[in-house]
Amino acid sequence: MLLINCPHCGPREESEFSCGGEAHIARPLAENTLTDAAFADYLFLRDNPKGLFLERWRHAAGCRRWFNMARDTVTHEIIEIYPMGSLPKTKAGKVAHAASWRRETAAEAAAKPAKAKAPRAKKENG
Amino acid sequence: MADASPQIRLPGRNALSGRPAITHANQDGGKPGLVIEELVHLGKLNIRGAADILPGITAQTGCQSLPENNRFVTIGERHLAWLGPDEYLLLCEAGREDEIQTRLRQDFEGIHAAVTNVTDGLCALGIRGGSVRKVLAKGCALDLHEEVFAAGQCAQSLLSHAGITLLATGETRFVLVCRTSFAPYVVDWLVDAALEYGVSYRT
Ligand SMILES: [Zn+2]
Repeated sequence: MLLINCPHCGPREESEFSCGGEAHIARPLAENTLTDAAFADYLFLRDNPKGLFLERWRHAAGCRRWFNMARDTVTHEIIEIYPMGSLPKTKAGKVAHAASWRRETAAEAAAKPAKAKAPRAKKENG
Repeated sequence: MADASPQIRLPGRNALSGRPAITHANQDGGKPGLVIEELVHLGKLNIRGAADILPGITAQTGCQSLPENNRFVTIGERHLAWLGPDEYLLLCEAGREDEIQTRLRQDFEGIHAAVTNVTDGLCALGIRGGSVRKVLAKGCALDLHEEVFAAGQCAQSLLSHAGITLLATGETRFVLVCRTSFAPYVVDWLVDAALEYGVSYRT
């Protein structure tokens, strides 16, 4: 049984929480031109590593808020808990994030907004 | 304190309507270790919003500041409990919840906030007695030591798989809020868990 430190409620028993699976899966934007195979990486494929894993968790029976957790799937050691929408801050967490096969997928590339074009020079009309 | 005031009974069913009183004597003699009473028709409002709801809260409940994490504040008959970073539960006198809800909605106009009347969806129980913490500890993973979960602390957790909100109103007394449909189960479980200490469920 894990003792999980909810960012809002403090340490609570694992049974109060539900695990939401792999974290940092960004949805491709609507204007993408992904193939079905590339979209399947986003929609269906989930990592299942032996070792450090970045997961989403929710304090289901408590404050009902989501957060991210870096957890070792072998030792169950919780390395880090960090807010939704942010990336891990520990060295091991950063390494796990960078090393994920997902970083190289077309689906993830399509989840980033296209780079804004350089602003056009304003026409001076006197 | 809501659990010390005389019960206000309104017409209509309450969560535990029709259930007979239960008494099991304390085998060691003396008072029962657990006394359970439904706080019939206690008003319950779920309030969502950020810090800008405070003026409305102060005007309608008399509460001067929003409760901190895992804590509740008591204003006369009312308790305002922290449920999450932008969520609170107001327990108020029976029959007053409609009026407070209407006024809060007026005060919250123009800000990102919500007030929901959950009076009939939840059941509040007043539980007390010398063994109340020992009984709860049989089915709840919270640290219930009186120095950790002291008066003024509240938490949402599980009691034998049922979702509960627990408010410590004193060293040996709590307000336990559960879903109305779970109330008979919660009372049965509490009575069963408290048999060894003696238990009284009063209607
Ligand atoms: Zn929490």
